[in-house]
Amino acid sequence: MKKLVEIALGILTAIGGFVDIGDLVASTETGARFGLGLAWVLVVGVLGIIIYAEMAGRVASVSGRAVFDLVRERLGAGVGLLNLAASFFITLLTLAAEIGGVALSLQLATSVNYLLFVPIVGFLVWLVCWRVRFEVMDNAVGLLGLALIVVAVAVWKAHPQWGAMLHSATHPVVPRTETHTAYWYFAIALLGSAMTPYEVFFFSSGAVEQRWTRADLLVNRLNVYIGFPLGGLLALVLMVAAALVLEPRGIDPSHLSQAALPTSLILGKLGLALALLGFFACTSGAALETALSCGYSVAQYFGWPWGKLLKPAQAPRFQLVVLASITLGAGLPLTTLDPIKLTEYAIVLSAAALPLTYLPLLIVANDPAYLGDKVNSGLSNAIASVYLVVLVVASVATIPLMIISKAGGG
Amino acid sequence: MTVEWGVIAVDQALQLPFSPSSHHSWDERHMTRHPRQRSWTPAEPTRRRFDLAAVGLGLLLLVATAGCTGLVRSDPVYASKAATTAAAAASAVETAQLAVQEAAAGKLFGRSLAQTLAEAASDAGDVQATFDAIQPPDGRADALRDQLDGLLTPAVSTLDDLRTAARRGHVDQLPSLAASLPRLDDRLAQFQKARQ
Repeated sequence: MKKLVEIALGILTAIGGFVDIGDLVASTETGARFGLGLAWVLVVGVLGIIIYAEMAGRVASVSGRAVFDLVRERLGAGVGLLNLAASFFITLLTLAAEIGGVALSLQLATSVNYLLFVPIVGFLVWLVCWRVRFEVMDNAVGLLGLALIVVAVAVWKAHPQWGAMLHSATHPVVPRTETHTAYWYFAIALLGSAMTPYEVFFFSSGAVEQRWTRADLLVNRLNVYIGFPLGGLLALVLMVAAALVLEPRGIDPSHLSQAALPTSLILGKLGLALALLGFFACTSGAALETALSCGYSVAQYFGWPWGKLLKPAQAPRFQLVVLASITLGAGLPLTTLDPIKLTEYAIVLSAAALPLTYLPLLIVANDPAYLGDKVNSGLSNAIASVYLVVLVVASVATIPLMIISKAGGG
Repeated sequence: MTVEWGVIAVDQALQLPFSPSSHHSWDERHMTRHPRQRSWTPAEPTRRRFDLAAVGLGLLLLVATAGCTGLVRSDPVYASKAATTAAAAASAVETAQLAVQEAAAGKLFGRSLAQTLAEAASDAGDVQATFDAIQPPDGRADALRDQLDGLLTPAVSTLDDLRTAARRGHVDQLPSLAASLPRLDDRLAQFQKARQ
């Protein structure tokens, strides 16, 4: 019974914790500009994160060690450092975007300028990272994030033409008002938002924090195979809601407030309240995850004691990196850099760095010295290799597309 | 900032260590001699570091300026920027209309409404300011700017009025204040369509 509760809780938190500010921005913006013409990218991205997150969870469960720890040992300090540098930079940018996102959610509820909230949010993120137990933190924000299901209810209540929507999603076309370069730029942004590197680092480090063993491989699989697709479904309904309400009106969303308009239009104030709670929860959860991921990645690379299982005095350098990352992450939005723009750049640059994150993971997951008989299967390797090729192509195309499409501006 | 400017800046950044003006001094500073070597050769590792730094700086500038607009030298480019501006303004106008519609139906909280309208007004003001900062290349472009400004100015003004009313809690006044928005929205859409 306890195991069942644990599995159910894991799946629910995986669903609620899947969406972050990157998904909120990318899904709403692509839905409003391209309808469901980019829904296929979300499917590709979610499938990709499922494959690699399962790998990361399996590596942690079997070896008892997290991904960065093994990457450095298996591939050497140089490759490990490259992996660390790319991932840390992107995760730090994402942390800044998430802190900005939490502040924007609060601004939307209070109409008080978000900049006033940024230092408070930064402090609270640090406080939770410092004081609150891992399971409590992970479960609380994950379960609160389920409030975003309200967007799915709004879509269902809107009584859309499901057949037409399915046709639009399976027969993607570039709208007349958009360019092909903008289409592919946003495709990469969506891929980056679905496969953000911190997700695998947090997932594998979280598995170590929760002391997963071989006995937890089933929990790992169920979390990933059920929780992640359902979480991805939340990102998809955000896109659908935008396609239903914002696209026909020609609204190109550049604020979080516009992402909430479809839900409030269909469900009224209760729907809006739940959507705002969902925005707050998913950005808060991701802010905590990215802050910890910054600490995890650096501490694991340098071999320092790390994790929330240890008292702060037992892992001082890990805590220091977390604190420094939160300070930098809160400092960036305080420069008045628009958090939504920051998010757009974070997810696109994240796409550019994806191969650096996922190739080492694929190599480690094939090493019997760490995984014994639990190394990747042939099918898993085949799919992961195809993904790696896709990620390399996306990575190479990112910067040129960003320049040619003027960052998606057309 | 302009994309053109960004590209030029990147070129300059990329050429920094090798540009004609700096070549001599760079060589002087970074040439080293191996004890067994008779002639001076560039210090390759140092140079490589400089190359990497320059490329990194260049990429950073490219990324930073990728979304910017600015100087144009031809009519079609100016017209295209005008169309993009009209589309962005229409998006702000549509956002405000939707928010007012929801507020009238009691579907938005006062604070969310005020925030949404404030952002719409700010967006419209920003796109007008950005467009007006672009130098029209010729007389025909002047006329185009006047035509678009004739749509943007009332749109910005109306959105400002809506923002003020929402902040004061005068939700009942919003529908009448927003009455001109559908017509402005149509005209902005027509303007954009004609120049795409």
